[in-house]
Amino acid sequence: MSRLARFLFLLVLFTTLSTDSVRAAESDGDDNTIDILDKLSNHYYLDFKPFAKIELPRILWTDSGILFFSSTTSALNSNAGLIDLHYLENEVRYKENSLIEPVSYKLGHADGRPVKMDLSISSHLVWMWVAGFLTIFLFARLNKRYRAGIGRTSEPKGSFQNIFESLVIFIRDDIALANIGKDKYMKFTPYLLSVFFLILFMNLFGLAPWGVTPTADVSVTVVLALCTFFITQFNGTKDYWKHVLAMPGVPKFMLVIITPVEILGLFTKPFALCVRLFANMAAGKMLIYSIIGLIFLFADMFGTYVGLGSSVIWISFNLFIYALKLFAAFLQAYIFTMFSALFIGMAVEDHSHHGEAAHVIHESH
Amino acid sequence: MYTVLANSLINVDPGLIIWIAVTLVLFLLILSKFAWKPLLSALQEREARIRESLESAERAMKKAEEISRKNQDALKEAEIKAQQIRKDALEEAELLRTDRMEKTKLEADKIIEQAKNEIQQEKKKAMADLRKEVSDMALQAASIILDAELDQKRNKKLVDSFIDNLPEN
Repeated sequence: MSRLARFLFLLVLFTTLSTDSVRAAESDGDDNTIDILDKLSNHYYLDFKPFAKIELPRILWTDSGILFFSSTTSALNSNAGLIDLHYLENEVRYKENSLIEPVSYKLGHADGRPVKMDLSISSHLVWMWVAGFLTIFLFARLNKRYRAGIGRTSEPKGSFQNIFESLVIFIRDDIALANIGKDKYMKFTPYLLSVFFLILFMNLFGLAPWGVTPTADVSVTVVLALCTFFITQFNGTKDYWKHVLAMPGVPKFMLVIITPVEILGLFTKPFALCVRLFANMAAGKMLIYSIIGLIFLFADMFGTYVGLGSSVIWISFNLFIYALKLFAAFLQAYIFTMFSALFIGMAVEDHSHHGEAAHVIHESH
Repeated sequence: MYTVLANSLINVDPGLIIWIAVTLVLFLLILSKFAWKPLLSALQEREARIRESLESAERAMKKAEEISRKNQDALKEAEIKAQQIRKDALEEAELLRTDRMEKTKLEADKIIEQAKNEIQQEKKKAMADLRKEVSDMALQAASIILDAELDQKRNKKLVDSFIDNLPEN
């Protein structure tokens, strides 16, 4: 009974909280819509609605060199000749002698040309830093225990150490060792560990209140995938390049087809890594917002009370999606790491024998 | 909406890419130096220690097994030796017994023989004595019966031949 009561209480709490925050989002816009794409995209501010909205520093490469501003508002109100492109597009005039508020946060020159490059600190970047510092902090604490001898000379103690140690050992043995082989895996284990924990934390942040998932941004996943790409190519053995450029055991005239496909394959692998992670993370988030949006859709169509009543269904459905996303956060971090290890393993492998199996694996990706 | 919709999902932001790339490389370097190297080395050390202690335990067990096998072998050998000794002792005792018995028998035989001989001799002696007595008595009796009719000397010859013709016993 008490369990049911607690569940209902949480449901009501969650319902009211999310209603509040989405209502706040609504009142922010000009029209009465929830912009899901805006929720997913990168911002130049950290949104702690309804408590605060922290503008992030802007670094802009403009005609007059690289300019630093502590916030978008200060950039707009400086005399650097910058303008929020929203004002230009909608032909809204600034009010004289008053603080100019940013709207779209997209800054350009006064005549409407965009800046050369916008190197501003953005929310995805900040949350990626949070993931990085969290990883450093956690493992610095963990290493303190190892330095003290716990886990080094004795068994690991406590759930904190056990959880992270088992994850580390899992990545080392079941991902790095299994895919790269015992001769070279220790060289790549630190990279795989870093990537796994960074991606895992970035994925999980989206599930926290006010959190943002940097991995739902293709710019972030493209860098991660490129990192794996460069590590793979720079560590490729002679054998690997021979397989890419001129597959041994294949008739000469077939190479005309196979070599371009193999070279294409070099790029499709990181492309798949990038898109898989980004699409999974973005889709989960979009789904959660869409289901919350159903409450307002129902309220619009059938009245407020139907909307409120049906919210119980949507919120419990959302809880299920939330659990699924929690699982996906771990799964996608694992998949990215596993495929990175697989690609690296294929590149560093010294197969002196040109067995059939090696070719099959090679071509299936 | 407006500009935000243009900010589509697959919008690649070069500024963000540069930032992420730089900070990712920094994080990778920092993490591998300060997080993974000490952690992995600690794990390796622990695993090496466990492996070593397992191996040494196995070695000790093998050694103990060998020792116990040696002990068993020695015990078996000792048993076999003891049995041999017992067998030898029994054989010797048997030999001694039969020897002694033979000797005793021999001695007894000798004694019996001696006794027999003595008896024979006594018997012979007695026989001779008896013969003499009998011949004397016969002579006396004959002389008494025949008196002087017969020559003493011829009679004696007659009696002697008679006696000689008697069987030995």
